[in-house]
Amino acid sequence: MRKPALCAWAAAFGRGWLLSSLAAVGTFVPVAQARINVTTLPGRDTVQLTVYNSADLTMVKETRTLVLRKGLNHLEFSWANTLIDPTSVEFRALTHADDVDVLDVSFPPRVTDTLEWRINSEYSGEVKVEIRYFTSGISWVADYVAEASKDEKAMSLAGSVRVNNNSGEDYENAQVRLVVGVVRLVEQIRQLAQAGHASPSAAPATLQTINSWQFAAEGKFSAALDQADRNGRQIVKEEMSEYFLYTVEGRDTILNGWSKRLPSFKTPNVPVTSYYKFEKERWGDSVMRYYRFTNSLPSKLGNEPLPDGAVKAFRVVNDDKLYQYVGATQVKYIPVNETVELELGNDPEVLIKPTLMNWQKTDIKYDQNDNVSGWTIKQTWQFEVQNSKEIDVVLDIRRNFSGDWDLDTKADREKVDANSVKFIVPLKPHEKKTISYDLTSRFGVNVTR
Amino acid sequence: MKNCVMKKVCCVLALLVFLPSMTQARIKLVALPERARVVVALNNQNATLLEEERVLTLQKGMNQVDFSWRGVNIDPSTIQLRLMTHPDQIGFKSITTSYPPNENALVWEFPSPTATEERVRISYILSGLSREVVYKAVAEPDEKSLTLRNYLRLRNNSGEDLTDAELNLGYGQGFKKNIANEEVLEMLSERVEAMPIKKTLTWDAATQPWKPEYEKKTVGLPLYYVLTNSAASKLGTHTLQPGKARIFIKTKEITDTPDAETGDGVTFTGEDWATLTPVDREMKLFIGQSRDVKVTQLKVKDDRTRIIRNRSNADVIWDTDEIYKVEVENFKKQAVNLTLVEHVPGSWKMIENSHPSQYTRKDAFSFEYNLQLPAESNGTNKTVVTFNLNRLNVQNNDPSSY
Repeated sequence: MRKPALCAWAAAFGRGWLLSSLAAVGTFVPVAQARINVTTLPGRDTVQLTVYNSADLTMVKETRTLVLRKGLNHLEFSWANTLIDPTSVEFRALTHADDVDVLDVSFPPRVTDTLEWRINSEYSGEVKVEIRYFTSGISWVADYVAEASKDEKAMSLAGSVRVNNNSGEDYENAQVRLVVGVVRLVEQIRQLAQAGHASPSAAPATLQTINSWQFAAEGKFSAALDQADRNGRQIVKEEMSEYFLYTVEGRDTILNGWSKRLPSFKTPNVPVTSYYKFEKERWGDSVMRYYRFTNSLPSKLGNEPLPDGAVKAFRVVNDDKLYQYVGATQVKYIPVNETVELELGNDPEVLIKPTLMNWQKTDIKYDQNDNVSGWTIKQTWQFEVQNSKEIDVVLDIRRNFSGDWDLDTKADREKVDANSVKFIVPLKPHEKKTISYDLTSRFGVNVTR
Repeated sequence: MKNCVMKKVCCVLALLVFLPSMTQARIKLVALPERARVVVALNNQNATLLEEERVLTLQKGMNQVDFSWRGVNIDPSTIQLRLMTHPDQIGFKSITTSYPPNENALVWEFPSPTATEERVRISYILSGLSREVVYKAVAEPDEKSLTLRNYLRLRNNSGEDLTDAELNLGYGQGFKKNIANEEVLEMLSERVEAMPIKKTLTWDAATQPWKPEYEKKTVGLPLYYVLTNSAASKLGTHTLQPGKARIFIKTKEITDTPDAETGDGVTFTGEDWATLTPVDREMKLFIGQSRDVKVTQLKVKDDRTRIIRNRSNADVIWDTDEIYKVEVENFKKQAVNLTLVEHVPGSWKMIENSHPSQYTRKDAFSFEYNLQLPAESNGTNKTVVTFNLNRLNVQNNDPSSY
């Protein structure tokens, strides 16, 4: 049971509120005057949030049941202390749609955060309507927990989404949909919200009264009780255009100021490689640790792309499932079948020690003035590598060169691009190896390419 | 009892039906289960993971667990709840987490199919609980071995008193300790008796004066104890962590009473920061200086050869022919290990050297002699090292490091 004294409540709690009222035409007083309306206060029947993660944008879709009179109806839709874009508010009848026409919409002068629809109805009685608008202030991020096995050859990957509501409005029992993808906005929703209806592109209007606070008190936990059987609920994934839409099963209440973390998936036994990288130009002498896996069906993933988000990695160290903390990182958006590497920081238990063993300047050339015009440098590099861990690891030693260079080595290597190569060195637990290469670099007139 | 009972870290199980609202004062009706177990993982140098277990009494239907903290610095993004008793009945997908505004708190919400007791494990990264490794070693008087004690020093500034906490370092056996907030606790974690060491002095041509008689003070040579993290040294089971190493040496204590027996004592000889040392690698501890070994290095030949001049008669490139003579005197009554470190920039080759078996090329621009100086090898008995090298294609812009 909602109380009609909504505005008082809203003011008292400093909370945003949405007010809509239905005024019969016979009792309507022009808005420029006292703006007294005779009101019926239909509650939200349903509410759906479609939250984008690439922009500060959420599409709110709510349905309500109004009682319309035959003839002209005035519907007032008001909001305060929220971040709703007034230019985005739309109204449509879901039932008796052919009988209900929006004649126009008015943003009354000297009144903020309010609009009015003039609606002509050929039908008298209950009409189910949809109100749709954009708001800012609601965001979502993905986060993941990677739980590696003791040998770090497999991991359980659990994904969650955390929805943050700072929109000024409480959303109770909302269906939550999350969009992964990059949408373009030519104006920021927050700016449009703060501009009010003076914004050049203002639009439609709707009605309804919600006491958010009251909802929280009365609706939230009873709703939660109703959902006591939602053990194991799913997040349904759906591809659309260049976007992916995740619909969270069930309903969630996300109050203003609160965040809510919703479980998305948990996949055990995802194959993972403990991968270690060394690249002097990027990390100095540090050896960086990665968990490498593929978002693919053979890896027990691959049903959909994984949104970018934070990853915390743990390693299970015994049968009692105690953890070691491995590290944390941010992961980029992972398309299906892409192999990704979770960068988990420096690991001193893997040693890679490069030593320049020989440096020779040879093949000197002179120009017509007998100045040096060309020369060749020959270098011999040696890499000591050592795995002090109890697990198999794979090393990726990246070397970058410039100019005209040749490399000679017995070690397995792979050319990455014109100026870099990588050495892939698998190491067993406690294994040590030495790899070496000879590098020839030509300068001046000695350059051949 | 309608109180918000807050321990430093408090875990509250509240039945749904008693909870009026999350947005009101978040009044919690409370059964406060004590921690049944605390495990601290100290394997990661950058972060300490704390796992605690509590036994919750769940009701059939939806349950809420309120977890809040104050006075402790917990990274909220790392907090995890795992149900240990019925992980198959109450799965990951059943658990939602709500974060109230402006509070160090969260609320887990999950359904239970039955009324039951559930052991839950809560994991989080906790700031302020750090560890350091401290080495203390007592060398035998002959400095050929020492007794190494490896201590773990825990500093608890986390805000939490940890009782019966299981501490895991990532190697070796875990152990249980009580550590009060603001307490520093030092524990012996490893002790190695009669561990062989090598004592060595180092003279580096890049940092030491070549003609010590020109110096106003006696030149001291850096003194190192070299330990090897290997089975032969009774170590070699895990990487030695970085930490301060304090070295003592055994001495005889002289008593004031002439009839009393002399006793064993120790004298502090120096300290260094030990670096991370993987298995089978050396840990070099620079603990002081020796002033009983004198090194004089002279460049006795420095000729340029094969000089190429340009049309303006400027030298553009040349070779060199260089001979060095290193005189080493040991004034001690014991033999001494000495490492001579030499640096040569650019492209070069060794033509001749007097101690080829002690010569090691370390890298492109440096080499070493590892000498054993006989006792009292000074004056006419001094050790003399000579070497002749050629630098090739010198242009005065050749690299000396990489």
